[in-house]
Amino acid sequence: MKLFEYQAKEVFKNIGISIPEGVVITSISELKRAAGKTGFPLVLKSQILMGGRGKAGLIRFVKDQVEADKNCLELFESDYNVNTILVEEAVGIKNEIYLSITVDPVTASHMIIACSDGGVEIETLAVEAPEKIIREFVDPNLGLMPFQIKDIAFRLGLEGEVLKKISSVIGKLYQAFLKNDAELIEINPLFITGNDDVIAGDGKLSIDDNAEFRQKTYEITREYFDSDAEYESALEGIPYLQFDGDISLMCAGAGLTTTVYDLINYEGGTVANYLEFGGPNYKKALRAMELCLKNDSKVILIVTFGTIARADVMAEGIVDAINRLKPDRPIITCIRGTNEEAASKILTKAGLVPLYDTEEAVRKAVSVAAGDEL
Amino acid sequence: MSIFIDEKTRVLVQGITGKEGKYWTEHMIGCGTTVVAGVTPGKEGQQIEGRTVYHSVRRALSKVEVEASMLFVPPMFTKDAVFEALDSGIKKIVTVADGIPLHDAIQIRRAALSVGALVIGGNTSGVISPGKAMMGFFPYWIERVYKPGRIGVMTRIGSLTNEVTAMIVKAGFGVSSLIGIGGDPVPGTRFAEMLPFYEADDKTDAVVIIGELGGSMEEECAEMKRDGLYTKPLVAFLGGRTAPVGKRMGHAGAIVSGGKGTVKDKIEAIESVGGKVAERPRFIGDLLKEVLGL
Repeated sequence: MKLFEYQAKEVFKNIGISIPEGVVITSISELKRAAGKTGFPLVLKSQILMGGRGKAGLIRFVKDQVEADKNCLELFESDYNVNTILVEEAVGIKNEIYLSITVDPVTASHMIIACSDGGVEIETLAVEAPEKIIREFVDPNLGLMPFQIKDIAFRLGLEGEVLKKISSVIGKLYQAFLKNDAELIEINPLFITGNDDVIAGDGKLSIDDNAEFRQKTYEITREYFDSDAEYESALEGIPYLQFDGDISLMCAGAGLTTTVYDLINYEGGTVANYLEFGGPNYKKALRAMELCLKNDSKVILIVTFGTIARADVMAEGIVDAINRLKPDRPIITCIRGTNEEAASKILTKAGLVPLYDTEEAVRKAVSVAAGDEL
Repeated sequence: MSIFIDEKTRVLVQGITGKEGKYWTEHMIGCGTTVVAGVTPGKEGQQIEGRTVYHSVRRALSKVEVEASMLFVPPMFTKDAVFEALDSGIKKIVTVADGIPLHDAIQIRRAALSVGALVIGGNTSGVISPGKAMMGFFPYWIERVYKPGRIGVMTRIGSLTNEVTAMIVKAGFGVSSLIGIGGDPVPGTRFAEMLPFYEADDKTDAVVIIGELGGSMEEECAEMKRDGLYTKPLVAFLGGRTAPVGKRMGHAGAIVSGGKGTVKDKIEAIESVGGKVAERPRFIGDLLKEVLGL
């Protein structure tokens, strides 16, 4: 789960990393009070999860109340579904640093990435000036050692008070990385002010969904998702992505679903939604089909090749879902794996024509979506 | 010779008394696996499929010899179970758990590397040498899917594995050993680390890798081939050629970020060292015939 900037900054604040004075607002009526706290000039920062907010004009510097009102209204009314704005004091900066922590799967390390050119996208820098990027690898079974922190700070060319302060931020950020089961924790930019104060100018924190059982702080709300369907399916625990094509996918397993997605594109078809109803969800045919039917798709394509997820159980679920939902569009099935013979009988009895080859099923779906007979 | 496991490999099952543990232990034995004992804390003395259950790995190893451990343990307890097996000196471990926390996975892999052990998984169906033995769950009884043969297979994609092996069998081949690397961003063992075993295996003529967008495991295989550490033919199927950038397609590892990990890059890397990439699963058979000169 990716957190919003203001949530990441709350985490920073709680572990003792300084953040700018700021107030979160959800309507323009709260703006004046917020500005009273931060003073002018201030920054209006739209709280959405998309990257490149600055370029998209979703971060605005304003110098007085009139400008603030005008810009705030524009942001709330923009096409980007902005529901929350972080109102922050504008910090006077001398320098900016990049700092993040993630994992390196190859060496099995925690990886601290730092750069004395903050504020730019690290991916851009990795291409244009890779020599400027500092990487420090941490043994996850030992943890970050003090000498490593010092080495990062020296390589950043820091000295004096700033060196001490940034070293402290690195240590704290690492603790936050561990404590939050972070996939990524990032401060970009980390401001160094004229008074040599060190302040987190932005914040990213992405929490590992697999660690949810020990990280229960954040409730899943609609704001985190691009569409209603993605939000509803997340609540059900069904992996779902919204597209706007003709064929609704209801497939078992991530890789098979991705491959079916490819094959549809090769055949000139378009995908309405990606939906996985395998693994722990293989008994959720009814809910999966309901989600598919919310799309304007022309056909539902079901492809599975399961071992634990038994084909007969899936087939029964599908027939039950059809009986209950009476779908208004054709359904194409290609269900194989454990107990596939039984599955085939169940589907045939319900009037479906089971297919057994993924590509044949995909071709059928593409032609039916194009208007051909089933 | 087989890779990782054959009918003589002595296997311990951690989590043997659970529903999945019991069910798949029966099938592992049915496939030919030498299961020697099981472990479930608090259940010592029970018998599962005629095998004795012990409270702990240490207690089991005081009674029986074990080479490999199969974990049917929920993701939240997987780290502890892997470390328990490593602590007893077991050097081959398979975990099928889907949903191991990232921070646990990175600690597991680091610990395995530091003692020279192979941890396969998580988020995998496991490991199978068709006709000999398996650790995990494969529908080995479907011959059109798991026929013994001379093609090595490694996979990141559980749901596509049956599909691809069925294509290999349909083309007249069979599978020597299949290693399910798993779909997580930090698998315990990477594709490239298994290639030397296939290189040394006189029962494997070529290797098929089933990969997808995200990460760098396919590129690492290409490097092995370029460096001459793997010299047999390499054929790949890669899912996610048409996947939109930035969207996480199912597996947590399946995301293109910062322009890295696209299928296009992976295809270029593999083809640049003479490997072949099948655009569709059904092309794998023909590509295998081509690279083997049949």
